[in-house]
Amino acid sequence: MQDTVATIEIAPKPAAHGMTRRARIVRSSTFFIPVIILTLIVLVAIFAPLLAPYNPVKISLTDRLMPPFFAEGGSTEHFLGTDKLGRDVLSRLIFGARISLSVSLLVILITSAIGTMLGIIGGYLGGRTEAFLMRITDICLSFPAILVAMLLAVSMGPSFTTVVLAVSVLGWAPYARLIRGETLKLRDADFVAQARIIGSSPVRIMLRHIFPNIVNPLTIIMTLQVGLLIIVEASLSFLGVGIPPPEPSWGNMVNDGRNLIDTAWWISTFPGIAIALVVLSGNFLGDWLRDKLDPKLRQL
Amino acid sequence: MSDVILKVENLQTSFFTRAGEFKAVGGVSFEIHEGETFGLVGESACGKTVTGLSLLRLLPEPAGQIVGGKIILDGINILELHKEEMRNIRGKKISMILQDPMTSLNPVYTIGDQIAEPIRQHQGIQDRNELVDEVISALRFLQIPAPEQRIHDYPFQMSGGMRQRVVGSIAMSCRPRLLIADEPTTALDATIQAQYLALFKSIQEQTDIGILFITHDFGVVADMCHRVAVMYAGKILETASTSTIFKAPLHPYTVALINSVPRLDQKVDRLYSIEGQPPSLLNLPPGCRFAPRCPDVMDICHEQQPKEVQVDDGHSVSCWKVS
Amino acid sequence: MADVLLEVRELTKHYPVKMGLLQRTVGWIRAVDGISFTIERGKTLGLVGESGAGKTTAAKAILLLERLTSGNILFEGKDLYQFSRSQLKTEYRPSVQSVQQNPWSSMNPRMRVRDIIAEPLIVNTKQSKKEIQTRVLELLEQVGLSTEHAPYYPHEFSGGQRQRIAVARALALNPSLVVLDEPVSALDVSIRAQIMNLLKDLQGQYNLSYLVIAHNLATVRFMSHTVAIMYLGQIVEYGDSEVVLQRPLHPYTKALISASTLTLPEDREQGVEPIILSGEMPSPLNPPPGCRFHTRCPEAREVCSREIPELRKFGNRWVRCSQLV
Repeated sequence: MQDTVATIEIAPKPAAHGMTRRARIVRSSTFFIPVIILTLIVLVAIFAPLLAPYNPVKISLTDRLMPPFFAEGGSTEHFLGTDKLGRDVLSRLIFGARISLSVSLLVILITSAIGTMLGIIGGYLGGRTEAFLMRITDICLSFPAILVAMLLAVSMGPSFTTVVLAVSVLGWAPYARLIRGETLKLRDADFVAQARIIGSSPVRIMLRHIFPNIVNPLTIIMTLQVGLLIIVEASLSFLGVGIPPPEPSWGNMVNDGRNLIDTAWWISTFPGIAIALVVLSGNFLGDWLRDKLDPKLRQL
Repeated sequence: MSDVILKVENLQTSFFTRAGEFKAVGGVSFEIHEGETFGLVGESACGKTVTGLSLLRLLPEPAGQIVGGKIILDGINILELHKEEMRNIRGKKISMILQDPMTSLNPVYTIGDQIAEPIRQHQGIQDRNELVDEVISALRFLQIPAPEQRIHDYPFQMSGGMRQRVVGSIAMSCRPRLLIADEPTTALDATIQAQYLALFKSIQEQTDIGILFITHDFGVVADMCHRVAVMYAGKILETASTSTIFKAPLHPYTVALINSVPRLDQKVDRLYSIEGQPPSLLNLPPGCRFAPRCPDVMDICHEQQPKEVQVDDGHSVSCWKVS
Repeated sequence: MADVLLEVRELTKHYPVKMGLLQRTVGWIRAVDGISFTIERGKTLGLVGESGAGKTTAAKAILLLERLTSGNILFEGKDLYQFSRSQLKTEYRPSVQSVQQNPWSSMNPRMRVRDIIAEPLIVNTKQSKKEIQTRVLELLEQVGLSTEHAPYYPHEFSGGQRQRIAVARALALNPSLVVLDEPVSALDVSIRAQIMNLLKDLQGQYNLSYLVIAHNLATVRFMSHTVAIMYLGQIVEYGDSEVVLQRPLHPYTKALISASTLTLPEDREQGVEPIILSGEMPSPLNPPPGCRFHTRCPEAREVCSREIPELRKFGNRWVRCSQLV
């Protein structure tokens, strides 16, 4: 007696039929535009040495405070103008992408790995392990992150490594909390009970059954963190405890131009726009992912 | 014969999705009289729930649309009514009870508040004391003990059976003409189900209400329904009185379905089962929808849809074998 | 003499109710209160009861998902709680597998069917990948699916097909006992018959024992050789299923049978009166004094609220009722 494989839709997908043309365009653009923007920025960061017209740290006091090419007094020699030390803003913007994104991605990798691991272990094993891990998580969550980052940066001296460490030391906590919540939901799932009945070890269950099923919410959070971390890095640099000069990061570029906003507005504005673009793109992408991934999980 | 409350003529409801048009209900017709319980029986995805929702025009929009037919309630085609007019009908003339009492009730409001809401809206009673009296009498109507204390309870404080009674109170509070009950006892234990059905039978005797009882459980059909229609893949295959359906079913699907239900009063070694699965509502076969699985299939069954034939008084079948 | 595979003696499981800042235990949920039964090799025991009766808790205890508060479980004559951890892993677990009620949640949605069925083999045997895959395809065919189904994900199958996959998974280790918790109640009527037929066939083929938990008496009658009726944590009637279901003695059994039988209007005209119980099952936190069923029993008398009835033998079945002496 053979059954044929049937894909049965339990709930119909939302209607494309009933949507206006406008709605459909908006829906797909929430995916494509952010992806394109982010991809471009990543490519810029990777190929920075090839793309930047000038050396970003090269000082040229004769070319100080030149406006961007489209403003009065600007020239196409320095497309986006120069800062108070005569360094080309465009080149610094390009190399800044590299630094800012590297910090962001590195921190995301470190914090998500630690947070996920602790979240799954605490959530699945329960009891005292969970209580202990969650207390530590709560403590980390209740510390003002910027303050801790500042303290670390000040005591270790600002550098790329310091920034990454400073943000990571507390940054894993939100992941741990979220993943522990998701693990709790899964811990009582029927298929996890089945795995225990079969005789699977807790490690196997955590790796094979729990982790693959929390990948979706994890991915969403990671995507949303991209924008957030750019802002954290920018804030630290803005406060003077981020990436130290002369290396450009979008944050310290904004800081550099802070006092010249009324006269040399371009020094802070362009990095500011870049930050905004990444944050918006990351958020749109994260929202799109959430819409795409969650309903399917619900249907299952 | 008592008055006809509801007459459904060739109702067609579809869901429009990216994958295509799901023809959930493909032309369904039936009548419900005063004081009668009409059963709509079928397996999952046969269209019985969608039929119930269509009667209240509560389909999830924009995907769900009624694409054809008439729903005539006390002489008026409700498909032609405006939204405000329809809102006046819901809860007042037609009411509905759903399967899951957990999600039918709002967890953050007391049950008193929830029962009061339709009373306030449809009967225009604003005075608090009058409302409380009405709520208590609605609870008493469903035989809920100690109603004066119960009005302050929250849903989580009650058992499943009690919650279903509260849902019933809400549905009955404005004395509707027609009640649509969508699998109301599926989530209840057998003995609680028996209580609940007995209660509704007595309510029906008191109020002459018509009930459309949607279910997959033949035991409930035997207990509750006067007449029953068997649905499959969006169409009604057979309509008859309950005793006829059990004693002399004509459509092969009805026969197979009844035979595949294990009976407590029979001992068999093997259960009769129907091979295969229901068709996809996206891709319905051109002929009779049951043809791919029918043990009595003939050539014409694959080619043309059978027409409904009146076999007897109140007994109609859509089957080439019978016409 | 009967070949007893599993025996349960006075199995008791109480859950503590804790309240307050210091988590003090204020009461006990007496989910299962001293039940005893045996399951013979190759036979089926049906455990029947409504929600709150304790049948799922009993099943969980047998599957080692819950620790007993007191009582014994004997597997092939040996007390489970004397087994060492590794003995449990090598001797007990592979022999006792389960099929759960909900075919949608009992399988990891991110695993392919072939991996789902292979998992018991991967965890418990040292077979090679090839050997395991061969066995997986074998199992798929035994449950009526095609080998082509192996690389698909669970959500691509219907409920009935998923239950077949669950059965295949349960059979992978050649168990002697399969615990089936409401195996067909989530399925469509016409599919239920398919799955029940399959289970019966497999039982005959492999001399499997089944513990079937169900609230539907007709399902139980079809599948079981013996049946135990549970109410509020206790067994109220226990014996050969034909005897218990055809000639019930306990009033609760009679009410359950009445609620589960198809009674047509004309049957009622012929004087068949349905038994409708009043009220609901009390909370296991606070069972009624005396006989736990007396608050709803249509045949209750004064003695029932005082005396706690014992399970007594009546012919070849056991009944717990103060009125039957």
